[in-house]
Amino acid sequence: MRCEIEFTLNGATTQWAGEAGRKLLDVLRDEFALVGVKCGCREGECGACSVLMDGVLVNSCLVAMGRLQGCEVLTIEGYRLTERFKVLDRALANRSAVQCGYCIPGMVLAAEALLAACPRPSDAEVRRGLSGNLCRCTGYNAIAGAILDASKEGEGLW
Amino acid sequence: MVNSMVQTPKGKEGDTLAPKTLEAALASLAQEGAIPYAGGTDLMVAEDERRPFLFLHNIAELQGFSEDDEYYRLGAGLTYTRIMNDKRMPALLVEAASQIAAPAIRNAGTIGGNIANASPKADSALVLVATDSLVRLVSAAGERVIPIGQFLVGRQKTTRRPDELLVEILMPKRWLADYRFTKVGGRKALAISRVSFAGLFAAESGVIQHLALAFGAVEDTIVRRPQIDGLLIGKSVEEARALSEEWLAAWDAAITPLRGRVSARYRKQVCLNLAAAFLKSRLESTD
Repeated sequence: MRCEIEFTLNGATTQWAGEAGRKLLDVLRDEFALVGVKCGCREGECGACSVLMDGVLVNSCLVAMGRLQGCEVLTIEGYRLTERFKVLDRALANRSAVQCGYCIPGMVLAAEALLAACPRPSDAEVRRGLSGNLCRCTGYNAIAGAILDASKEGEGLW
Repeated sequence: MVNSMVQTPKGKEGDTLAPKTLEAALASLAQEGAIPYAGGTDLMVAEDERRPFLFLHNIAELQGFSEDDEYYRLGAGLTYTRIMNDKRMPALLVEAASQIAAPAIRNAGTIGGNIANASPKADSALVLVATDSLVRLVSAAGERVIPIGQFLVGRQKTTRRPDELLVEILMPKRWLADYRFTKVGGRKALAISRVSFAGLFAAESGVIQHLALAFGAVEDTIVRRPQIDGLLIGKSVEEARALSEEWLAAWDAAITPLRGRVSARYRKQVCLNLAAAFLKSRLESTD
């Protein structure tokens, strides 16, 4: 079933036409070249494709394009222009929390969703916030620590 | 389907892609045999972008929550996150919802979708079966309210007609005070249940008033056997203790686990352990 929709992509009003059941993940990567959105599993198991839809964390592999009419989608490419991103970026670098990096765009957006809802999370809350994002390199400790650092250093931003 | 090939549904007000009213959605369902799309978290696992989805997120009737003396009334489109964050929700359901998948899935996945997808491993559906909840199905022709056990009839199989929409879930309030929910999974998050268990218990003056067990992820449908639990209802704690082996043997005979990622034997044993432990703890606390 084809559809024509209008949605906001990283701040820009965007028209799109195509199959309503197409995965947002595929459209972001293949049609808009937003390849910071990573494809890990295509079934909601890994979180690498996480984006914010109307400010809410979702797996873009499990969102059909027809769902997006009137929505705002933010990918890592849009988020990296924010002050909040700079704080998270620095915190991750300081802890050497990024190894292969494949999970990190999703991790960063999961961190943003967490901190937006809960600006000073506990370690357990951070781990719960990241629980849908798999990382096969780091063992998570450095990532969780970096997010706790960011929550302190970004005082007032969240 | 023919209709949808001819015209391109536009994403604008009053359209057929994401209707704003229940009436419009039901009219679409009656004509086109569209596939209701709630959160998409189960539907979108399949790689078929040509399916004729009907997006339900704009329909206010599916987002409601209310309660009366008898029931919690949950809109089928409530996400797990909404359920978890709403203090009015029954604790048993909140507990089950908070153990489903991970935040991004809970933000999109809905309780109605969890039922309509008809997986025997569906954790919120387990709670609804254990509580003998009802589902309200609405079509352009009318509506019906049926026990969830008559709705979920097999793996990915429900008695929903193609023109019907699951609109509301009615969860009885009566026996919710004392419950146990246990999800046995391989990890803390993003776990598909190996076995899931929900138990409800009530006693008054040392006499068992209510006992309801349900097991998920063991057969093609969630298992609930009121006649087995009925063996102990109306009995004193002492009588129930004397009957507990018979009760457990009846559950042993009733559960026929499928071999999945874990063995049938393991599943059966875990079910029986959970059942026995639940009864024992409740009989002890009633003494």
